[in-house]
Amino acid sequence: MQLPGFEYLEPRNLDEALDMLGEHGAEGAVLAGGTDLIVRMKQRLQTPRFLLSLKHLNELDYIREDTGCLLIGAATPLARIIDDANVRARLPAFHTAVSAIGARSIQHVRGTLGGNLCQDNRCRFYNQSAFFRSTRQACHKAGGTICYAREGSDRCRSTCQSDGAPALMALGAAVTLRGAGSERTIPVKELYTAVGDAPLSLHSSELLTEISIPLPGPGVGSAYRRLTFRAAIDYPLVSAAAYVRLGDGHIDEARIVVGAIGSGPLFLVTASNGLQGKQSTDEKALSAAAGMAGSSAGAFIVDNLNADMEYRTAMIPVLVSRALRGALAAAGA
Amino acid sequence: MADYAYIGKKMPRVDTRAKVTGQARFTADLDLPRMLVGKILRSPHPHARILNIDVSAAERLPGVKAVIIGAETLGRKWGVFRYTLDQQMLTTDKVRYIGEDVAAVAAVDAETALAALDLIQVDYEVLDPVFDPMAAMAPDAPQLHDDFPNNINIHVPIEVGDVEAGFKKSHYVREDTYAAPEDSYFQAEPYAVVAQWDLDGNLEMWMPNAGPHMKSKPLSNLLGIPLNKVRVRKIAIGGAFGGRSEISPADMICALLAKKARRPVKIAFTREENSIATRQGHALTTTIKTGVDQEGRVLARDITCYMDGGAYSSTGPIATSVPFLCMEQAYRMDHVRYNGYRIYTNKPIRGMIRMHGRGFACGVDTQLDLIAEHLGLDPVQIRVVNARQPGEYTNTGSLVASCAMQKTIEKAAEKARWADKWGNLPPFHGIGIGTNSVQTGFPMGIRGGSQAIIKFNEDGGATVISGVVDNGQGNDNMLVQIAAEELGIRPEDIQLVTADTEVTPSDPGSYSQVSTFIGGHAVKLAARDVMKKVLLTASELLNADVGDLVARDRMISVKGDPERAIHIKKAIRMGLVKGRAPSGEGAYWPKVDHKREWVQNPHGQMCGAFSFGTTICEVAVDPETGQVTVLEVTAAQDVGYALNPLVLEGQFEGSVAMGGQGGMLTEEHVWKDGAVLNPTALDYRLPLAADMPPINAIIVESVDPDGPYGAKEAGMSIAMSAAQAYCAAVSNAVGVYFEDYPITPDKIVRAIREKQAKEN
Repeated sequence: MQLPGFEYLEPRNLDEALDMLGEHGAEGAVLAGGTDLIVRMKQRLQTPRFLLSLKHLNELDYIREDTGCLLIGAATPLARIIDDANVRARLPAFHTAVSAIGARSIQHVRGTLGGNLCQDNRCRFYNQSAFFRSTRQACHKAGGTICYAREGSDRCRSTCQSDGAPALMALGAAVTLRGAGSERTIPVKELYTAVGDAPLSLHSSELLTEISIPLPGPGVGSAYRRLTFRAAIDYPLVSAAAYVRLGDGHIDEARIVVGAIGSGPLFLVTASNGLQGKQSTDEKALSAAAGMAGSSAGAFIVDNLNADMEYRTAMIPVLVSRALRGALAAAGA
Repeated sequence: MADYAYIGKKMPRVDTRAKVTGQARFTADLDLPRMLVGKILRSPHPHARILNIDVSAAERLPGVKAVIIGAETLGRKWGVFRYTLDQQMLTTDKVRYIGEDVAAVAAVDAETALAALDLIQVDYEVLDPVFDPMAAMAPDAPQLHDDFPNNINIHVPIEVGDVEAGFKKSHYVREDTYAAPEDSYFQAEPYAVVAQWDLDGNLEMWMPNAGPHMKSKPLSNLLGIPLNKVRVRKIAIGGAFGGRSEISPADMICALLAKKARRPVKIAFTREENSIATRQGHALTTTIKTGVDQEGRVLARDITCYMDGGAYSSTGPIATSVPFLCMEQAYRMDHVRYNGYRIYTNKPIRGMIRMHGRGFACGVDTQLDLIAEHLGLDPVQIRVVNARQPGEYTNTGSLVASCAMQKTIEKAAEKARWADKWGNLPPFHGIGIGTNSVQTGFPMGIRGGSQAIIKFNEDGGATVISGVVDNGQGNDNMLVQIAAEELGIRPEDIQLVTADTEVTPSDPGSYSQVSTFIGGHAVKLAARDVMKKVLLTASELLNADVGDLVARDRMISVKGDPERAIHIKKAIRMGLVKGRAPSGEGAYWPKVDHKREWVQNPHGQMCGAFSFGTTICEVAVDPETGQVTVLEVTAAQDVGYALNPLVLEGQFEGSVAMGGQGGMLTEEHVWKDGAVLNPTALDYRLPLAADMPPINAIIVESVDPDGPYGAKEAGMSIAMSAAQAYCAAVSNAVGVYFEDYPITPDKIVRAIREKQAKEN
C-alpha cells in the first residue's frame, strides 16, 4: 500500500525538532520507529502534512540512573532497554512489557519506548483500510457520530493497547514533555486521557522526551502479564501490571493496572487498596483483589478487538492474579 | 533399490538461492517501459443493482490513461464448468459481495489512479443481502443468480450400497455436526498482474498462477481472441494453495486497461484485496452419521455438508466433492451416502484450499475418536481397523493401487511413543492422531495430461520445455532432477523453459497434486525419447549394444566396462552430423475414467494415485487461559517414492503450519455485515516461526506402479491430517470433543468451565 504524500522534516537536534513542532505540530506527526504511524498512514487513518523524523536525535537515546530513578530517552530502541541490567533486575514488570512489544526484529531496528507510549488507540472497526471504511458511515474516531463497538455509544470506545503504559503506570513512572520553551514532567497516569479519539494529553507542539522510573528498594516487586494468541507481533488482548511493596510479610502498598481493556490504562484503586495491610500469603485477599479488578475493569470493555469479548473479560482476573503473584515473588514474598 | 544419481537424494532446490537472497522477481517486481498503474474500484455493498456508472470525471483527471467498466467487455460469463458459468469479470448487472470488481483505472502513478477511483460515480440500488447459507436456501431469501433457485449452486449426491441396511446392522450409530468458518490462503505474495499488447494484437501477461494454460484459455474465451495470442509468461510465484487456480477478474481488467491505454499496465493487490477479492476457503457445516460394528469397523456413513460458496461458483463442483473423496479414500466403509450442497451467499468467492474444509475432515476424525471411546478402543486402533489397504476400490470405484496408510499410522505412533502416552499424560496434556488421503491428479478434461520437449545442445547441456509451473512447492527442481537423472547430465547442465503458454505444451498445472505424477512423468518420457537417439549414436561409437549403455555424470559408458566411455557431447555432436535430431518428446495421460463427472457421474477411476498421511500432535493446555502449547508433532506420509527428501520435509513442515498450527488454533475470518474484519496479516493470525513446534517428518514409501519412480502427492495429506491431529490433541487435553473450529482459547476456556460446572 502507498503512503500518502507528506513533507519530511529531519531536525538535527532536539531544539530544532521542538521549533519545528511548534511551527508544524498541528498539521504534523512525529516519526520515531514508525511501527504504529506508518501503518495508519498507509490506511489513510492519518494524513499529516509534515512528518518530523527523530532519526538524528541521538540526544533522546540514553539510559541512565539519577537520584534513585532510571531515566530513559524516548527514542531509545526497545532492544537496548531489554538488555539493560537495571531494567532486567529491578523493574521486572517493565522488562516483561518491553520484551513483549512487536517482535525481536522490531525491538532491534525500529521500535522505541516513546512510540509505544504514544501509540494511538485501536479498534477493529477503525484500524481498517480506506476501502473498508468506505463501506460504512464514519465512526467517532474517524470524525463521525456512531460507534460500531458499542451500539449507541456517544463517544469513541477505542482501546489503549500499549504494553509499556500499564507497566510504567504501576511502577509510578513519569514522562517529560517538552515544547519550544516549555517543559513539564507528569506521571504516566496523566499522559492518558481515557478519551478514545484523543487518548493522549500531549500537546501537538510537545515531544515526549524522557521516561523516568523510580528504582525500587528491597521488598518491592512488580510483574506484567499479557494475553495474545501468537508468540510475537500481536497487540495484547488483555494485560495486567502489578506492583507491590512489602513490609514485615504484609503488603504495604499495591498497584494494579489493567491494559487493553479501556480507552486508557485502568489504574484499579479499589482492588489495589484492598490489598493494603494483607499478608502476602493471603490467598483469599489475592483472589478477592483479582475478582475486584475483573469487575472494575470489565465494566469498560467493548467488543472491539480481535477476540471474543466474554473471553477477554474472563481473562482480566486471571491475568491480574498472575501479575500479583509474579510481583509478590519478585518482592521476595 | 534403484541406483539413481539424483532421484531420491537430498538436493537443495534450484530456486532457493534466488529466493533467499531476494533476487527472485515476482510479478509486482516487474517494471516495463511506459508501464501504468492499474487500480480496481470495488463494491462497498454486499448486494446491489448497478443502475449507472459515470466515469467521465475520472477520465478527465490528468494522468489517467484508461478507465473501463463492464459494459465495454464482451459481457461473457466465466465458470470452471459449462454448468457453472456465472461470473462476469467486470459485473454489469449486480454486485454480489463487498469487494467485487466494478470499474478500473490505469494512470501514471498509484496516487492518480486512486484519486480517479474516487471520481467514478456508481449509482446502486441496494438489495437485501444474505450471509448465512441456511438462510440463503429459505424460500423468501434474496436470490443472487436468476438461474440458481434457492441459491443452491451445486448439489453433489453420492450413494453407494444400502446405507439404511448398514445402520440397521450396526452395533453403534451416532450422528454429530461440525462447523468451521472461512479460512484464507494468505499466500506470501499478494496477487499481481502485468499485461502488455504488441502491435500484432498479441497479449503478454505475467501473474501468479497454478497453471499458465488455465489462465490463457479463459482469457482467450473472455476477450474473444485466439489462444495463441495469449502469452502467459513464467514468473516467480509466492504460493498458491488452491487460491490461484482460475482466471482472476484482475487478469482481464489488466489486459483491457493495457489495450485501451496502449501501454503496459500493472495491478498489484493490497493484502486486503488478496484476502477478499481472490478466493477464500469455504465455511462449512457437516452432519455425519456413522454406524460401526463391535470392532469399530465402519459399516455405514451418511454425510450432509452445507458449504458457504460466496457469490460465484469458482471451482464449486470440485470443492464440494473433494472433502468427501479424501474421506472415502482414507477409510473403508461398506455403505455410504453423501449430499454436498454449495450455497451462494453475498460474501467473497470460495475456492479449493489445502485443508478442504476443517469442518469436514476434523468432524470425521473427531467422531471416530468418540466411537473409539464408546467401544473402548484407542484412536490408533480404530484407524488401523478402518485404514484403506492397497488393491482395494473406494466406494465410488477408484482402484487404490499403492497404499501404505497403515504403515503411516504405525510409524507415526511409534515415533510419537503413542502407546506410552495415550491415557498416561498429566492433566491438560493431550495427544491426538489424524489420518487422511489426497488425490494425485483428478479429471481435468482436455488438460488432464502433460507433454514435454527436451533438446540437447552440442555442448552436452539440455533445454527442458514443459508446461509445469512452480508456485513455491519446488516443481522446477523436480523437473531438473528428473531430467538430469534420465539424461545422464548434471542439474546445472539443464535449462528450464516452463510455464509459458507461447512455448510450452499443455499441462494440467499444479492442480490436484499432479505436477510430479503427470508433468514430471512427461519430462521423464521426453528424456527417454531423446536418449534413445543419443545412445544409438554412442553405441555406434563405442561398438556396443544400446542396451548395454549407461549415461551418468555427462559420460556414456558400457555397463561393466567403465573404461569404454565417451563424453555425452561427443554422441550428441556425432548425432547432429548423422542428421539425428538431438531432441525428444514425451506425453503422459493418467489412467482416469474420463466418463467420471463431479455432479452427473461421480463414479469410476478418480485419479492416477492416492497418497496417505498420518499426523500425531501432543499439546499442553493452560486451563485458565485456554492457550495451547504444541509440544511435538509427528507427520508421516506415504509419498510413493521420495524424489527429494529435503523438499518433502519442507512440505511436511509447511503443512503442519498451515493445517494444524494455523488452521486449527488461530485462523478464521471474522465478519461484520458481509465485510471481513481481519483481512491483514496482523489480524488474521497466521502462525509465526516462533509459534511452531518441533516436527518429526517421516517419509513412507509405497512405490506407486504408475508414478514416475513410484512418486505421488506429498504434503497435502499432512496438511489435512495435521488439522485433525491438532483438533484431537486439544480435545484429549481438555476432555471435551470440539465441534467448532478453529479451537481458539475462548472456546477452550468455555469448554473447560462448562465441563467443570457439569462435574460439580
